[in-house]
Amino acid sequence: MTVIIDAQALQKNFRVAKRRPGIFGGLRSIVDPEVRIVSAVQDLSLQVQRGEMVGLVGPNGAGKSTTIKMLTGILTPSGGEIRVAGLTPIHQRRELSKRIGVVFGQRTQLWWDLPLLDSLQLLRHLYRVPEARHRENLKQLRVMLDLDEFIDTPVRQLSLGQRMRGDLAAALLHEPELLYLDEPTIGLDVVAKARIREFLLALNTQRSTTVLITTHDMDDIETLCPRILIIDHGRKLYDGAVKDIRTRFGGERTLIAVLDGSELARLAMLPSAEDGLATLPDLPAGVRLLKLDGPQIELGFGREALPAHELVAWLGARYTLRDVTFREPDIEDIIRRIYEKDLLLGDIGMPV
Amino acid sequence: MWRNLWEDLQLYQHLLVIQIKAQLQYKANLSLDIISYLGITGLEFVALLLYFVPFRTLLGWHVGEVAMLAAVMSLSFGLSELIGAGIDNFSVLINRGEFDRVLLRPVSAFVQVIGNDFRLRRLGRITQGMLAFALALHFLPALHWTFFKLLVLGIGIISGTIIFLSIVLLGATLCFWTVETTEITNILTYGSREMLSYPLTIYHQVLQRFFLFIVPVAFASYVPVCYVLERPLPFGLPAELALASPIVALLFALVSGWIWTFGVRHYQSTGS
Ligand SMILES: Nc1ncnc2c1ncn2[C@@H]1O[C@H](COP(=O)(O)OP(=O)(O)O)[C@@H](O)[C@H]1O
Ligand SMILES: [Mg+2]
Repeated sequence: MTVIIDAQALQKNFRVAKRRPGIFGGLRSIVDPEVRIVSAVQDLSLQVQRGEMVGLVGPNGAGKSTTIKMLTGILTPSGGEIRVAGLTPIHQRRELSKRIGVVFGQRTQLWWDLPLLDSLQLLRHLYRVPEARHRENLKQLRVMLDLDEFIDTPVRQLSLGQRMRGDLAAALLHEPELLYLDEPTIGLDVVAKARIREFLLALNTQRSTTVLITTHDMDDIETLCPRILIIDHGRKLYDGAVKDIRTRFGGERTLIAVLDGSELARLAMLPSAEDGLATLPDLPAGVRLLKLDGPQIELGFGREALPAHELVAWLGARYTLRDVTFREPDIEDIIRRIYEKDLLLGDIGMPV
Repeated sequence: MWRNLWEDLQLYQHLLVIQIKAQLQYKANLSLDIISYLGITGLEFVALLLYFVPFRTLLGWHVGEVAMLAAVMSLSFGLSELIGAGIDNFSVLINRGEFDRVLLRPVSAFVQVIGNDFRLRRLGRITQGMLAFALALHFLPALHWTFFKLLVLGIGIISGTIIFLSIVLLGATLCFWTVETTEITNILTYGSREMLSYPLTIYHQVLQRFFLFIVPVAFASYVPVCYVLERPLPFGLPAELALASPIVALLFALVSGWIWTFGVRHYQSTGS
């Protein structure tokens, strides 16, 4: 495998000028600016291998977009080194732009007043793609993204999901080897999101396009990215496999058991705590009763409390079971816990 | 380099064609737009001529001569406004972070920006310039035309277009540092256009020098028109200076192009 993105100790400080009102205020702001420094990205290193799909996660203002803008050559880093596809983005920006595709979910690169097809045609000239190659790519993307039903509609009349499909096509017409997606599913409904994820997976398998995606939607991450980077306040908190996050910071898993109908009478006799919830007598340490609904029992338990099969055995020894399933902790909750408690700052065991 | 230039021109043409196509879909609207723009710019021109109702001349300039000055100015400015359409709104492009997109494409940022917002309605000012020119000719029946005069007029208008384009480009470049200066840039472009629709010599010497040697707007209209009308230039400059308009324009364009390139490196994008 070869490295496609290699960033070392990236740093970005923004100088934010204080606004002064009026014409002379504007003039003064140039001559005598009153600036505040915002540190958006600090000491961020990251390496992505060709063909990987990596998620960049973090709360609003964490520095995700700023990182992407540095990796594309839009912004000059205040410090650090970057190589993308062997190029230095800021110095070889135009060269690099032929090899990467970028989608900003909050903005479109399509022309509002033109039919989608016109925008897609115009992009051929903006990326200088040979006509035959463009035709072939457009044909493929029309099928993969199912564009035909709205390709002649002006972009301003498209739904958000349709527009996003159009934007994906626009970003891929020049066959980039690396695709950056900055919040591509923001504001989309469930069906539209699913469709886009399906497309990205197909793209990654068929063309082995490398994808770096920022998102708030943990379902995006779970379906698309085996690996995530968590950043907050411009610093990297975690870089590793999604499944390891669960094991290390997983919090509680949930055991959902459906008891045999004959147990209903016994369940009804269980004593209640002050909050009205029933209690199970002599639960093992570290296990809590979360819910009791007819014959269904939900127990929360920490990974370190006891192995899952022992809990099943414990329950099976007391009740007749009909069905048992487990629910993994919600990754979104875990990540929120990580930001809130700065769980990883100074964590020596950080896998990089 | 020539190949690049050629490809840039082609790209510019593609950008225009597609926007013209979109604007032609609403023909009624478009003609109304052009006519109202013609009306507004025509009124500006009439206001200028009103001076000659009570007075016969302005520092020795007759109404037809001033009309020619204003007409050539409208043509230079009108062409720059038509060609460079997108730069006008550069602060908006910056504010909305849309310049990000421009930097993500392997073609000239400048061409993308100027080709971004083409408006056919701006033909209104050019039409006004041509009508005003016809009127000027009507007031100047005795004017003797030579090949060189036509040539000077032609290159004067083209140079003027380049000079105005460079001024707005400079103004746009400021937006990389702050977008609060658009009013100042507008004062410079619109103000100099208004001022130089009158003979340069009515202004203080400092201003005359400024418009000749620093921001050479005088080359967009005053210098070529003096050549056509066989009038002397201020500061004893030779009339043949008019032939140097393209050089002045190109120098000014190079300087602003260089500053623009420098500005692009300082682009800070927007947080959103
Ligand atoms: N162009 C900019 N000028 C000034 N500050 C900015 C700019 N872009 C981002 N910021 C600031 O940098 C920080 C990180 O922003 P951003 O990268 O957009 O975060 P994210 O995409 O993770 O939400 C925020 O505090 C934001 O306000
Ligand atoms: Mg963002």
